Amino acid sequence: MNETRDILTLAVEIGDAMLQNGGEIYRVEDTVMKIMAAYQLEDYDVYVLSNGIFASANEGKEDACSMIRHVPLGSVNLLKISKLNQLARDICAKKCTIPEAWECLDAVIHHKKDPLWIRVLCTGIGSGGFAILFGANVLEGIIALGIGLLLQLLMLWFEKHEVGRFANLLICSIFVTALSLLPMSMGLPVSQDKIVIGCIMPLVPGIAFTTSIRDFYNSDYLSGLIHLLDALLTALFISVGVGLTIYIYQSMGGVL
Amino acid sequence: MVGTILLHFGIALIATLAFAILFQAPKSEWMLCGLTGGVGWVVYESLQLQGWHLMLSTIVAALILTILSRIFAVLRKHPVTVYLLSGIFPLVPGAGIYYTVFYMISGNMDMFSVKGRETIETAGAIVIGIILAMGLPQVWLNYLAKKEKK
Repeated sequence: MNETRDILTLAVEIGDAMLQNGGEIYRVEDTVMKIMAAYQLEDYDVYVLSNGIFASANEGKEDACSMIRHVPLGSVNLLKISKLNQLARDICAKKCTIPEAWECLDAVIHHKKDPLWIRVLCTGIGSGGFAILFGANVLEGIIALGIGLLLQLLMLWFEKHEVGRFANLLICSIFVTALSLLPMSMGLPVSQDKIVIGCIMPLVPGIAFTTSIRDFYNSDYLSGLIHLLDALLTALFISVGVGLTIYIYQSMGGVL
Repeated sequence: MVGTILLHFGIALIATLAFAILFQAPKSEWMLCGLTGGVGWVVYESLQLQGWHLMLSTIVAALILTILSRIFAVLRKHPVTVYLLSGIFPLVPGAGIYYTVFYMISGNMDMFSVKGRETIETAGAIVIGIILAMGLPQVWLNYLAKKEKK
């Protein structure tokens, strides 16, 4: 009798973890369904939103149970999505008992993140690279790289102190724009726009936007809207941050 | 010109790779994530150099990089998301967002409307590209994977 609940919990937990790490709605729904089918549950149903999961099993029977999860929008972790996908495949291929699946899920959820310096370094390289791609010269690229490094340090600090997402975005974009004005004001022969463009790339909502498109494509309109709104608001906050800084700079007599 | 494009391919690859690591892509897929981004950018840039319309080049680039992601996904048995989310970044209109705001603040309303429209067009083009590529039947890609194994 407890088995139904056990299976449902496992399936929902796996779905929860996938959703939290940025899996798209269709895949999460599909995975939860398949896991329940693989463990021979009948009469089950799942409804997934970009920030919640609703699932029930064996509704007509005595051991009926249902589960609701609230899953806040999180940051993307492609490795976890990939591993959870593999786990679901194993379960469907009947290679995995329930306790084994739990163990595997636990390992995935508590998988260590990369060391922080790698994230800092990658943000720097990404910023510098994109700056050059959008027409910066080598010097500007290097400056963008430096600002990118500092940006990630700031973001890590915010993460540690749990600063709200939008405050975080706003301050980060102000920070980046202000820093990019510095070398030009000091008289270095660089143009500031290419540097900012490179440095806001780690902030732009490419992921939310892409996920939103895919949700719409799979007819998950509500989730698509949630992600789209997320992307638009992110873009808006970046714009406000950048705009505010430029406005202040120009009112102080700076010329761009 | 070919040299510049090759150079930009390399830079786009490295920048995308860095972002893939940032999103914790699996180690074994780092190169392929980078490759997806590099290819997307090169297609976009070469078409732009040929004088194609901004929207059209973005559509084709997004289309090709999404198909590439799907092919990698089938071959390497990872979700499409891994490659697509990293690879799309070079096309995301970060520059468009910046210039739109910049011209708005500077009071240059002509350029503001041009850049604003370009940003929205780019975003729309990415949508069209991805949707077209997702529309390809999975069977075709599976067939490709089988052929690869033989």
